[in-house]
Amino acid sequence: MAEQIRKSYGYAQLEAVAWEMRNDPDMVYYYEYQVPISALPTGEVLDLVQEFGTDRTSGSGWPIDEQWIVGATIGAATAGSKAIARLPSMAQFYTVEYVFNQAGKLRSMTGGQANMPFVLWIDGASRGRGAAGQHTDVGAEAIYANLPGIKVVCPSNSYDAKGLLHTAIRDPDPVVYMDYPGVRSGQQPDVPNEPYEIPLGQAAIRQEGTDLTIVAWAPATVDVVRALPEIAEAGISVEFIDPRSLKPLDVETLARSVQKTGRLLVVDHGHYTNGFGSHVIAEVAQLVPGARFSKIAFPDVPGPGSSVMMEWLRPDAPKIVDAAKQLVLT
Amino acid sequence: MAEEAKTIDRRTLLKMMGAAGASATVISACGAPSSSGGEARLTQTSGLTGSEFGDTVDISTAGPGGNKNWRPGDALKFLPAERIPTSGEAADQFAGLSKQQLLGFYRTMQSTRIWESTMKDLFLAGDDGLYGYFHSYAGEEAIASGVMGALRDDDYIASTHRGHGHLIAKGGDLNKMSAEIFFKASGYNKGYGGSMHITDMSKGILGMNGIVGASYYMAAGAGLRAKVRGTDQVSIAFFGDGASASPYYFSAVRSAVNENIPVIFVLENNMQYMGVPVARHSPAKHLTDYTKGLNLPHHVVDGNDVTAVYKAASQAVARARAGQGPSVIEGLTYRWYDHQGFSGVREGEDGAMRLPYRTEEEVRGWISRDPITRYRTWLLDKALASEAEIDNVVAEVRQAVDAAVAFARQGSDPAAEAGVTHTYAESDAVRTQFFNRKGLVT
Repeated sequence: MAEQIRKSYGYAQLEAVAWEMRNDPDMVYYYEYQVPISALPTGEVLDLVQEFGTDRTSGSGWPIDEQWIVGATIGAATAGSKAIARLPSMAQFYTVEYVFNQAGKLRSMTGGQANMPFVLWIDGASRGRGAAGQHTDVGAEAIYANLPGIKVVCPSNSYDAKGLLHTAIRDPDPVVYMDYPGVRSGQQPDVPNEPYEIPLGQAAIRQEGTDLTIVAWAPATVDVVRALPEIAEAGISVEFIDPRSLKPLDVETLARSVQKTGRLLVVDHGHYTNGFGSHVIAEVAQLVPGARFSKIAFPDVPGPGSSVMMEWLRPDAPKIVDAAKQLVLT
Repeated sequence: MAEEAKTIDRRTLLKMMGAAGASATVISACGAPSSSGGEARLTQTSGLTGSEFGDTVDISTAGPGGNKNWRPGDALKFLPAERIPTSGEAADQFAGLSKQQLLGFYRTMQSTRIWESTMKDLFLAGDDGLYGYFHSYAGEEAIASGVMGALRDDDYIASTHRGHGHLIAKGGDLNKMSAEIFFKASGYNKGYGGSMHITDMSKGILGMNGIVGASYYMAAGAGLRAKVRGTDQVSIAFFGDGASASPYYFSAVRSAVNENIPVIFVLENNMQYMGVPVARHSPAKHLTDYTKGLNLPHHVVDGNDVTAVYKAASQAVARARAGQGPSVIEGLTYRWYDHQGFSGVREGEDGAMRLPYRTEEEVRGWISRDPITRYRTWLLDKALASEAEIDNVVAEVRQAVDAAVAFARQGSDPAAEAGVTHTYAESDAVRTQFFNRKGLVT
């Protein structure tokens, strides 16, 4: 396509939702206060409330009752509607119970009767300064990925964000869509106006290399991109892979890369213990014996408010550079 | 319940209530200055029968809920009278307090207002490089002050993200609060928490909290402890209109009544959950209606009238202390600023006037019912304090706030390495953000 209009991250996402809702009059999109309205620089406005009404959306907002938002959306999905529930970041665990015991289990428990075209869209938090404790968490993808019947995607740019949203909505199984704000500060590719899918379980090789495989998703990709030039200056050739979809996970692409480079560094903004990076290493290690593995991750602490502490705790670009050098050169 | 409501005067109402054996009380009359606000007069729906506490006599029959057609500006319909009533039960009870107590209410309200206003100016000026969230309590000070006036030092409170006023009224230290806003090691939370999580366990303050609706269980649990230990401490759960939607609310009130726990649920209904009017997400006119079937007293009061809040709180506290269980208090009030931060604010001006979900007229209307100014007028009208005495309180508070800012500026940043301490009581967390150089020790 010759003409690409620069659209915001949020617009690209709503474009996917709007397209799917136009093509399926039963589809619903519910949220707390994140009213779905966005505009292009040209002034064109996408207003889902106006277009689809207050039955198919939450209008100007639903109460601060995440159990209701997620529970009712799962109910609509169980009854047959494609359905999205969108949660704010600090509320990302209120609803694990219903996702675990209902969304993830009903198909199996009912012998395949229950369809579950449900998307849990979680507005992630970031490891930023000042928010402190309950508003700084990253890594819920690891907890959701542990639940049977649940799929998990973690887009890291606007192109993937739109494509993975189309895929998640069309998927007959429940998909957790982690939407981290940190990725918006990274480089954004052009986003086509037309709908397109990014298949689940297909990693993206962001940079090819021969000495070291770095795996990172969502907000950690921004730090890896910042670290790459300095790692290259140290004479290390990095293959950088963004899995995008964590469950299903493209183990084959990851393992083939590590087979080539012999070294894997995983960068995880989630907490260390049982963070998703541990699963990445466990999977690759079973297929590529003899390689070197390392993971750097946010420590097992609630994110403190002070920027001094927070910056020290984040596995940011300088720490990634250091880890890459240690892994390859020592 | 009959649809029509009849207007009656306070004295008749109290008589009727006494006859019906109701223990909920009219706290304060609410006048309605605007032409559209006729329904907000002191009225009473029929029926004082039913379960012991099933019925509540409200300051108005028309709470802000149950109106999906709410438009910006509608908050004007709920403006209280220009002046706090100088006669009546609340006024009489209040006038019986010592001058020190009376000025104490004024002091806690002014401490909160002046401290927050100073912080607002520092945020806006930018010279101190402040960052993080700041949820202003401006406009709602009478609720914290009135409730805390009814408490003892050893009682518990569980606060919210909008809790600066709660902390200050419960005896929070302005120096340590300020230093926490600056994320200094000398702050209450040593730089870990910031505005939204300030806590002083030594004063029974179980903490401000970044999670909406977290206060109910926290306060009820503290009440359980008091019960287990056989003390007569009571516990307060503060919450806002937004948090009333949390399933935790009904759950906590139900079990607190069932287990006869000394906890009081204090709803600060500022009519705005973030930018969403409460009217659109609550089918009940008053949010206290949610728990009316649970057989506990409900007080709906003018939240900008410290005498009314104090009266309701002292009744609820006495009841809880006597082992008679929980109560719910709803104070109708208004948030002067945005949900968080200082959007729509012009330097040197009170209130956020330029926000899309409300009108400037509405904000100005509510600022004209400033709980602090109203109380000052009330004190002077009743000749309970002189202008000089009141002004002296303000001067002292300003001095304390200035000293607190100086204290905050002088403090040191926390050490970066402190980031792995305090997660567990006795050991640091592992520094997993760095490459693990150690390997196995052979």
